[in-house]
Amino acid sequence: MGKQIAALTILIAVSVFVVMPYVWMLLTSFRTTREIMQSPGRMFPIDWTWSGYVTVITKSPFFSWFVNSMIVSISVTAAVLFTSTLVGYVFSKFKFRGKTALFWLLLATMMVPYQIMMIPQFLIINEIHIYDTLLALIVPELVTAFGIYLCRQFCDEIPDSLCEAAVIDGAGPFKIYGMVILPLLRPCMGALAIFTFLEVWNEYLKPLIMLNEVKRMTLPLALAFFSDAHSRDIGAIMSASAMIMLPATVLLLVLQKQFIRGIAITGMK
Amino acid sequence: MKSKWFVRAVLLPAVILFATFMVFPIVSGLVIAMFDYNPLRSENSFIGLSNFIKLFHDATFIKSLKNTLTFVFVTVALNITVCLFLSTLISSLRWGRLRSLFRVLFFMPCVAPLVASSTVWRGLYSPKYGLINNFMESVLHIPAINWLGTPAFVMPAIILFTLWADMGYNIILFSAGMDGIPSDFYEAAEMDGTNAIKKFFFITLPLLGRTMSFVVAMTLISHFQMFAQFQVLAGRTGGPNQAGNVLTYYIYKTAFQAKDMGYASAIAIALFVIIMIVTLIQQRASRVDWGY
Repeated sequence: MGKQIAALTILIAVSVFVVMPYVWMLLTSFRTTREIMQSPGRMFPIDWTWSGYVTVITKSPFFSWFVNSMIVSISVTAAVLFTSTLVGYVFSKFKFRGKTALFWLLLATMMVPYQIMMIPQFLIINEIHIYDTLLALIVPELVTAFGIYLCRQFCDEIPDSLCEAAVIDGAGPFKIYGMVILPLLRPCMGALAIFTFLEVWNEYLKPLIMLNEVKRMTLPLALAFFSDAHSRDIGAIMSASAMIMLPATVLLLVLQKQFIRGIAITGMK
Repeated sequence: MKSKWFVRAVLLPAVILFATFMVFPIVSGLVIAMFDYNPLRSENSFIGLSNFIKLFHDATFIKSLKNTLTFVFVTVALNITVCLFLSTLISSLRWGRLRSLFRVLFFMPCVAPLVASSTVWRGLYSPKYGLINNFMESVLHIPAINWLGTPAFVMPAIILFTLWADMGYNIILFSAGMDGIPSDFYEAAEMDGTNAIKKFFFITLPLLGRTMSFVVAMTLISHFQMFAQFQVLAGRTGGPNQAGNVLTYYIYKTAFQAKDMGYASAIAIALFVIIMIVTLIQQRASRVDWGY
């Protein structure tokens, strides 16, 4: 029992460290910058105010930024789910020439840091005239090596006899994909969806390179822009940060089980 | 199964996209590094290995390389130690609800965009109104430190932030690994009267080998490529006296601000080579050839 209490005490202390930045961010977001500067040692607002949030909404195209982030994250997630399951299925259940080589090529690209390909990617995006559009963030992400790899691993666990039985029943390859493979891939698809969405939603470097115009920005890039433009208005910066951190945090709290299982699944493969 | 048309119909578009946006950029990244390449110029000349030779005489490169290595090794070592310790504590809790509560709580920073959480931490570190200095002054009676404005403190500040932001992943992976260790090992040890510390070092740690090797590799690779918090916390100039400048940030600035894309590609290749070497050494060192 004593050991349980000791463990609990340490864990609670660490939890305070983990949660504190959130608490400080929220409390500061409800203070005016003038109040912060006049009594910097205080943590709690003297006069609670929404003025920081009002600044974010009225002085920046926050709604457009949110919509941009949504468009990019949802379309990439949907596309990655579709292409990964389909290509993973082909790699797992079909025989064709060059299969091993192609799969190794896929894996090899996962080892390369983004810094090497970002310059040519930027030049290509420019060349096909989608620089400074949301397409620049969507098109290069439609097919991902990690998604294909993950789905192939899960397809490998589906017995071939299931597919063969479907073939005997007269099902074509696309019907087998829809009727046999997809339903059995659901746990893997859940994890893949959560992580793809989060990764795209949080991405900063790619938008920084690929976007220029303010109203076309996605949220993380927009926050960097906003906090530069309003660098003296701490209350507003914390309000903007809170508004950007909120969606993912709520998603985590609602889908905790899927998150935890998802990490264990994708991490252990 | 065999179906030529289906395989072709699926792979053709996938391969075209993949080749255009992954394979081709990687190959051309290697090629551009051998050019004096500026996208604004119409002619760019081939200069062979000059960009790579330049690396050895470039003080900023050497400084950011040192910073990168310090950041990666210190952060990863701390991360692994702290996460192992915390996951052991969490696993020792008897109440399942409490275990998942702590796991979710520690994971919370992992889902926030790094730009947003580093913006919050820039506020926390502020010498005037920041929570950390306020705490130090009022509780510990230490005078305020300008964390992000002092060369000696920028990197520790970024390391502390990164630990906070990234612990959750490894805690969950370690916990999953610990749950996978058969309980008979612990029961046998308890019969011999082993204490908790011995159990950790003689059972948990060795039997966690495979998870450990994977987690260390992934953490190393991801930390080499971190970017956002350096731009936010060290600032656009790389921090005071370049103390917060790292390779990823130097590559970005060289490519997109100085527009010296050839040289930026050469630095990126250097980064890749360093990641490969470190990962290979780590994989060699932590080879596990047994199972249970």
